[in-house]
Amino acid sequence: MGWNWFGPVATTRWVFSAKLGRYGLVPQQHLGLVSILAAVLVGVLILAFILVAFRDLGRLRTGISRAWAIGRTAFTEAWSARIWAIYIIWLGLVLILAFTMVRGYGPADEMRMYLTIFLRGQVVLLLLYLGILACMALPRERERRTLITTGSKPISRLELLLGKVLGLSTAALVLVLAMMVTTWGFMTLVNAKIRHDAGVLYAMQKRSYDQLVRHVPPEPGLRYLARHGVLQASNNLRGRLRIAGLISYATNPPQRELKGGSAEKLLFQFPSLPATWQPQAPPLFIFHLPPFSLLKRQVPKKTIIHVTLTANDNPLHRKHKVLTLNADGDAVWQPSNPYKFFSFVDPRNGRVYDPGPVTVGVTCPTLGDYLLVGNGRTAASAACKAWNMDPNRVPGHLSFVLPQPDPRIFGFMKSKHQTWQEIAGATTAQKNIPPEVASMEFRHLQASQVPIDHDGNFTVDLLLGVNKHFNEAAPAKALIRAYAVDNPRHPVQRLIRVEEKHVTTLKLPATLLDGSSLIINLQSAVPGLWIKLRSNSITLARPPSPFIANLGKSELIIFCETVLLISIGVAAGTCLGWPVALLVTAVCYLLGSILEFIHRMFDQISQGFSFFHGGEHAAWSAHLGWLIRAVMVRTLYFLVHVVPDFTRFDPTRFIVQSVNMPWAFLGWNLLWTVIFVLPTLALGYLLLRRQELA
Amino acid sequence: MVAPAQAIQTRQLTKIYPGFWKSQKVPALLQLNLQVQQGEIFGLLGPNGSGKTTTIKLLLGLINPTAGEAQVMGRPAGDQETRRRIGYLPEESYLYRFLNARQTLDFYGRLFNMNRVQRRRAVDYYLDFVGLDPAVRGRRIGTYSKGQTRRVALAQALLNNPDLIIMDEPTSGLDPVGILEIKNMILRLKQAGKTVLLSTHQLADVEDVCDRLVILYRGRVEMSGALSDLLERRDVFQLEARQVSPELQERLVALTRESGATDVQIIRPRARLEDLFKRLVDAKRQTERAGK
Ligand SMILES: Nc1ncnc2c1ncn2[C@@H]1O[C@H](COP(=O)(O)OP(=O)(O)OP(=O)(O)O)[C@@H](O)[C@H]1O
Ligand SMILES: [Mg+2]
Repeated sequence: MGWNWFGPVATTRWVFSAKLGRYGLVPQQHLGLVSILAAVLVGVLILAFILVAFRDLGRLRTGISRAWAIGRTAFTEAWSARIWAIYIIWLGLVLILAFTMVRGYGPADEMRMYLTIFLRGQVVLLLLYLGILACMALPRERERRTLITTGSKPISRLELLLGKVLGLSTAALVLVLAMMVTTWGFMTLVNAKIRHDAGVLYAMQKRSYDQLVRHVPPEPGLRYLARHGVLQASNNLRGRLRIAGLISYATNPPQRELKGGSAEKLLFQFPSLPATWQPQAPPLFIFHLPPFSLLKRQVPKKTIIHVTLTANDNPLHRKHKVLTLNADGDAVWQPSNPYKFFSFVDPRNGRVYDPGPVTVGVTCPTLGDYLLVGNGRTAASAACKAWNMDPNRVPGHLSFVLPQPDPRIFGFMKSKHQTWQEIAGATTAQKNIPPEVASMEFRHLQASQVPIDHDGNFTVDLLLGVNKHFNEAAPAKALIRAYAVDNPRHPVQRLIRVEEKHVTTLKLPATLLDGSSLIINLQSAVPGLWIKLRSNSITLARPPSPFIANLGKSELIIFCETVLLISIGVAAGTCLGWPVALLVTAVCYLLGSILEFIHRMFDQISQGFSFFHGGEHAAWSAHLGWLIRAVMVRTLYFLVHVVPDFTRFDPTRFIVQSVNMPWAFLGWNLLWTVIFVLPTLALGYLLLRRQELA
Repeated sequence: MVAPAQAIQTRQLTKIYPGFWKSQKVPALLQLNLQVQQGEIFGLLGPNGSGKTTTIKLLLGLINPTAGEAQVMGRPAGDQETRRRIGYLPEESYLYRFLNARQTLDFYGRLFNMNRVQRRRAVDYYLDFVGLDPAVRGRRIGTYSKGQTRRVALAQALLNNPDLIIMDEPTSGLDPVGILEIKNMILRLKQAGKTVLLSTHQLADVEDVCDRLVILYRGRVEMSGALSDLLERRDVFQLEARQVSPELQERLVALTRESGATDVQIIRPRARLEDLFKRLVDAKRQTERAGK
């Protein structure tokens, strides 16, 4: 789940691995272990906090009916505050928007817009109104002094707190259900029209494509709409996407960096020494990875990289080392005891073997640090050089530099917000640089998991973009190689045309599905053409499911988000007056909504960071500015990690694309809600526990 | 004979409301030692701001004491289980404005874990008991008159058939008939063996019902003891009789003066307005009922 899995834990991990490691407070070999331990410790502390807060939970067995009584009253209060008006306002608003804004769009976009208006409208109104009610729940009772009467009855404070949350959540549930039924009714009404329009449009597109008036093939989404209407949601299978390949063209700026704290890994292949090498000339690796810190907007004094040396024939045979890069990005590593590593002595007969080629892998653990990776075409740009690693060198002759082979960044810069990422095609100038490869892995795929048509094929959907960096005239073509992991010798190859952001459908034989993992590799087939893709760009089609179920899932997510906000509001109201509680809740929501923005900001700034080099010669005032900025950025970063990430709740993400929401997505959202509702309630309870009610 | 158990016992109970500065601190109650036996009616008296309501809130655990301790029914004040056996009538009727009388009592019944049948029976019984006009029972409490609200608040305090009833100015806002009814009710509660803690400014009420009382002044106990001990004037003698001729009166006065008594005077007792009012309202209600 990456860095932002659970705010406080992830932040602790980050602080430990980035800060303590950089200033040498923790021995570098133990850094990973220590940071994981710290994260676990924080997790345990949070759990303990929850347990302590809910210690009185045992008594709740008879209290749940009392909590529910308070909930009923809170519900009645909400109702008498005319909460149903929200439904009327929502209905009026979305109908006005729907009938004024949705005009003259294609049927697919029409459906998308209707659903977006209907669902987004729900989110906005529900959060706004129930947030306010939640913040006022306890303060208003305190102001009207009804807490004095209620507090003299045999209730505990926990029941009081839970009751308020329960009551308002019930109100939210009633509203959500009413809105869901309305939305479903509306979509049913417009279904016939959308189907009809989609059918007409698809036929038109198909005719003009068949006659080659237009080069764009008809949109499969339209055909889907024409056949099934909006009352179905398509399903698909997703795999794990990785990109492996060279870094970039040395001549042209869009350079690729290794992103610190991400899953990206830099790989270098080296031939090994011959079995009879001389121990007096041990191998030596020289790294040159100019670092840049986005948080400080300057070159960091020290940057850490994790280096592994692996024998290709025997992946268990490996060495690990943590190195510190200086400000220029230089570091040197001479593996200890190299003789044992580079020559393998068979204990049975004493023969010395050459272990084969070795791979050097580099990762950077510090989030916010980026390492510039040169492609090694010139000696200065080489990211990794090795001394004494040439198998053909004359024994005893020491100084021999082997320039790096093609470096490769392996991994997919996976981020939640789905930015497009590019894979480079072959160069037009230097034909010997191979294109990058995007590799999608579908784990343990059975033939029964996907529908097979009459010809024994299953369907792959590709959603790709193109970037004609160096070759404007070239046709956009991509090469697909699909194979089962157990049987890599018999790949299926296809050459497809890439239509910018259109779904391309591909048929592949079901013989590929043998229960092992299915790999689909994608690369640019044309020199100078870069292909853009996201982590869900390659999917396998599955039978559709009913629209109402999908709508229900979206509504459930809206409900979860509302419940989370209600808990925050009620907890804030335990010790604050309602205006301040409202402010706190709003700030929580705002901070929780910019996590995505902050991540995206880091990613985007990174693309032009080479302009900020040269921080060492700046005036002290500039340094002070950087320091203040760094502190503020980190504080913000910490805060957005501590508050719940509201961008996770995205009810429109799947449904507007007619895609069924995966159960896993729903499950994670439910879990996420629980993960944050519990500590919020615990905090609220701790604040309320010893408070005076009168 | 077993000594009656203590319903309420406080030891050096002190409440100083916090303020931002020292000068803002309010010493509302200072070192109160209070013993209320089970089955007695206890009066809590004092001028405005003397700490009566503060004492009651401390006993209910609604606020936390600054020092000292309080025990109610043998458990520390504010204990959740003890509150099952306590009925509390706040000094103003703090009820939910958006509920009607039935819903209100139903809600509090739920807080006492009563089941549906028990609740329905108790709600109707106590609304009749406090004499709430049946016509208003379905309306929201926000629309009630002060006395009607007060009656609902009273019903709420009796709902769980409590062993200890704490009433903070129970008669405020009630009509004289209501006041009389309350006084009778308190006496009936005593007969049923309940303990009543009463805070009030209506000294007449205290006089009529209380067994013992304390008088607070600025958070301190100024006087305490049994009502009879405190009020009995042993040096004064009063004689009451009907149909006494003026001559006999003169002779009685003269006789008294002769025997050495001082400050002899004749007082003509008047019927109390309270009785007059009650007779009037009762008659009206009688005719109303007959008319229906
Ligand atoms: N929440 C509070 N914060 C600060 N001071 C308070 C608070 N509540 C009460 N007081 C003060 O404590 C003192 C005692 O108040 P309390 O309500 O106990 O008086 P009382 O005897 O019930 O008076 P009354 O007859 O007017 O009801 C008063 O001076 C009052 O101003
Ligand atoms: Mg008072």
